[in-house]
Amino acid sequence: MTLEARGVHKSLGGQAVLRGVDIVIEPGQITCLIGPSGCGKTTLLRALAFLDPPDAGAVTLDGAPPARPPWPDVTAVFQSLFLWPHLTLRENIMLPARRRNPNAQADMRGLAALLDMEHFLDKHPNQASGGQRQRAALARALILGPRYVLLDEITSALDLEQSAKILTKLTHLRERGMGVLLITHALAFARRAADRVVFMDAGRVAEAGGPGILDRPATPRLAAFLEGAGLC
Amino acid sequence: MGVWDILLTYHMAFARGLLVTLQLCAVIWVAGLVLGAALGVAGSAFPRAVGWPSRAASFILAGVPVLVFLFWLHYPAQALAGVVIDPFVTAAATLAILNIVGVADIVRGALVDFPQQYITAARVTGLTRWQTLARIQAPLILRAVIPPLLLLQVSMLHMTLFASLISVEEIFRAAQRINAQIYRPVEIYTALGLFFLAVSLPVTGLALWLRARYTRDTSEQ
Repeated sequence: MTLEARGVHKSLGGQAVLRGVDIVIEPGQITCLIGPSGCGKTTLLRALAFLDPPDAGAVTLDGAPPARPPWPDVTAVFQSLFLWPHLTLRENIMLPARRRNPNAQADMRGLAALLDMEHFLDKHPNQASGGQRQRAALARALILGPRYVLLDEITSALDLEQSAKILTKLTHLRERGMGVLLITHALAFARRAADRVVFMDAGRVAEAGGPGILDRPATPRLAAFLEGAGLC
Repeated sequence: MGVWDILLTYHMAFARGLLVTLQLCAVIWVAGLVLGAALGVAGSAFPRAVGWPSRAASFILAGVPVLVFLFWLHYPAQALAGVVIDPFVTAAATLAILNIVGVADIVRGALVDFPQQYITAARVTGLTRWQTLARIQAPLILRAVIPPLLLLQVSMLHMTLFASLISVEEIFRAAQRINAQIYRPVEIYTALGLFFLAVSLPVTGLALWLRARYTRDTSEQ
């Protein structure tokens, strides 16, 4: 029972971005996807979110391609967040939640308390800071109770304290069986959070394993990447 | 004889002219908003079959002065076709065509330029198509199109004055006739100006207010 990409190829504008990617997102695990900019991480996330069908290969849920996109059982938070600008942050979170979650109000209060959101929930997205918007976008996804959540750089605008809170929240969700894919450049965050780390380079999975690969990379490419990041 | 005396004395002539102007506006506004919106939606849904021809028509019409277009339809076109059409119909059709094309441009632009990421967010959060249309697309698109549509309708009201030049008895022609009788251009055209201000300013003000209220900068800092 996994979310899985098998041999996924994808070209954008005539340029091959994904060149046969295999990845398995297990329920109850946090998978951190790392790699240099432009290596295809976000394209892979969109394919796994059933937004952009692959040119070749397949994305499967529970062993087979779903007949219909399984939103919001599989949901995503994008780097650009895509908050609806005419709604307040509270409305952004509650609009999809009302349909999906009978305990949306209570869950909203819980998320607001956990992520320190009470004081800015009635702002519009353009009135909120980057960190506030990131927390709201994450809350919009998590309140839906998805089976799999795909997160693209969701802690980039957060301070250490907020990042730690989100890590705690993701850990709780993992324990409840949610599968998490986390694209991140914050390798320290990946080291603490990940059950599994996948390193992508040039449209392929170059190395994958436990978080230990961040300390003992098996491939020269990951070693070079980590050295560039100052971690090796 | 002051402005109010003239308005009181010739109120029937002004009223008849005003009625014709309002009839012209009704045709132009309804045709423009209904057919123009439909053409704009079709242009965004079928860019090659409808969108490009519509844009080409808009481009060509933008290069022709309104008065030339009106006169061309009133004289040469009718002479070539061997028909005589009531000037009111010619004026209404001419200005309706301009309004339809203008409205279509605004609507098509708003639809084509609609940021797809908001729809993506709606999809991955499980909103239905109807919810996405009603709660995300429609409010954002209406906020974008209503102010320019209102401003365009005010412009169309002003353009109805051109109809006087092909003998349509609208309010400007009524004013000209009264002026020909009593020669009080200052008072008469002041009264006409006040009339247009009274109609145009509230609509223009509403458009500007809506634009300030709803099309404020929503870009994220």
